[in-house]
Amino acid sequence: MSTLSIRAVEKWYGALHVLRGVDLDVEKSQTVCIIGPSGSGKSTLLRCTNLLVAPDGGEILLDGVRVNSPSIRPEWVRQQIGMVFQSFHLFTHLTALRNVTLGLVRVKKLDRTAAEAKALQELERVGLGAKLHAYPAQLSGGQQQRVAIARALAMDPKILLFDEPTSALDPEYIREVLDVMAQLAKDGMTMVVVSHEMSFAREVADRIVFFDQGQVVEQGTPEEIFDRPGHDRTKAFVGKILR
Amino acid sequence: MAAPSIHPGGTPAPVTMRPASRWTRAAVLARALRVGIGVAATLAGYGFIVWLGTVGVYNLAYAKGLVPALWQGFVLSVLIVAVVIPIGFAVGFFVGWARTLRNPIVRGLASVYVDFFRSMPPIVLIAFAFLLGLIALRTTIADPFLLHWIILWLGVLALAFHTAAYQAEIVRAGILSVPSSQSEAAQSLGLTRGQTMLRVVLPQAFRVSLPALGNEFSSVIKDTSLLSVIGWLELSGLALVQIYSGILVYPLAPVVIWLEVAVFYFAITFALNSSVRVLENSFKVPGLEAARL
Ligand SMILES: Nc1ncnc2c1ncn2[C@@H]1O[C@H](COP(=O)(O)OP(=O)(O)O)[C@@H](O)[C@H]1O
Ligand SMILES: [Mg+2]
Repeated sequence: MSTLSIRAVEKWYGALHVLRGVDLDVEKSQTVCIIGPSGSGKSTLLRCTNLLVAPDGGEILLDGVRVNSPSIRPEWVRQQIGMVFQSFHLFTHLTALRNVTLGLVRVKKLDRTAAEAKALQELERVGLGAKLHAYPAQLSGGQQQRVAIARALAMDPKILLFDEPTSALDPEYIREVLDVMAQLAKDGMTMVVVSHEMSFAREVADRIVFFDQGQVVEQGTPEEIFDRPGHDRTKAFVGKILR
Repeated sequence: MAAPSIHPGGTPAPVTMRPASRWTRAAVLARALRVGIGVAATLAGYGFIVWLGTVGVYNLAYAKGLVPALWQGFVLSVLIVAVVIPIGFAVGFFVGWARTLRNPIVRGLASVYVDFFRSMPPIVLIAFAFLLGLIALRTTIADPFLLHWIILWLGVLALAFHTAAYQAEIVRAGILSVPSSQSEAAQSLGLTRGQTMLRVVLPQAFRVSLPALGNEFSSVIKDTSLLSVIGWLELSGLALVQIYSGILVYPLAPVVIWLEVAVFYFAITFALNSSVRVLENSFKVPGLEAARL
């Protein structure tokens, strides 16, 4: 059974048909990399997956359980799906440590000591054990994104979604974030990553999905998609990002 | 018991250590200096005023006798402020919050509230609360003292509802200043909407709202003087009473009376503004300082 199955998911924004019957499966411990032109609906797909926006049709299955259903609380779903945003979205009024403990204390109901121990462990995992009491505005972009990853990791999610996690970063900070993500993949985390970082896609991803105009156009191993793309649209897009 | 620091590396971790005090030495000094100057200026001013009395610019004995007479009004003003501001803030907070909700009925009701109470001068609200209360209750409440007591406090409530409308807009502006990305991040962790509001949106909203709230608080302190029109003998009401009697004794009495009243109002406003400033400091976020050009 796949950790995540997306079946025929539809999403409209008014008259705009953003997701047109998306199908995607992610197996446990797999890293799937989604590439595709801007505006094709990649972010919308991730936001539908953790029910930040409600899909208008289709099914989202988490470990085989349909989660876009009125009988399931969206909070319960989101707790199990980690999300890392392009612009980090750290809570600006909380220290790095408090950013991580918030979900542990309020959602997982851990007591403060246990939450802090867990948060410390995750912050050390992303190399920020020394920045516990720094506020987001006192951290570099790369450090903020790593705190955001620790915040998502701390909830012990079944799957982590990354929406262009390095697009908002200065070039010098991209590496440190990609390294953390590569390590997570190695540790067996299940991940869906929207990213055009070629080094990461080639070396870390088990599978590349080319997404365009609200649909999965083509998917395969990095070699298949980057070296021998089947569709003309894939060819054109890959040609652009490889150049 | 020492907090058990679970740490994979074995080294004790300073998890429970709180961030270093946000009050830098310079800030403390600046604050002490400000308080010092305030105290010195007050004492100097007081000395000057007493001196004017001793050289016969005004009747010093009369002025001194006024203080205990006005003191009662001061206490009553403080009591009224202590009722108006918490009620006004509580109502204003919920109305302002309601105006940011998705539910169109709740939002609509909150908007009607704000539009109504903002379109009316507070003195009119106070008079109406008093008079409508009188009309409505005069047959049901026989005891004239109880009736009078109730309608006087209805006037106070009217003032609280008036300031609530303004505070609602301040709270709403604060909530709107928090980007939706903050609540999305919170909800992605599995926080409920209520938790997101309480733990993520409101703390950031208050940081933005506090200066404007402080403004509204000092404004409503001065509006409590309007309660004298319905017969409250708070500072202003008592001042009027003193003027009618004092003017026969001493022609400059009104000047002295209003000056003393001004000092009492200043004391209330200053105390409240200082508290708001302390609150503002506690909401400051390191690294997020405003532009200083
Ligand atoms: N909240 C929204 N309301 C209306 N249109 C939206 C909204 N979010 C995204 N869109 C539109 O949906 C399309 C897909 O957007 P998005 O999922 O962000 O694409 P991508 O992440 O692939 O760049 C775009 O045309 C975008 O303008
Ligand atoms: Mg996007």
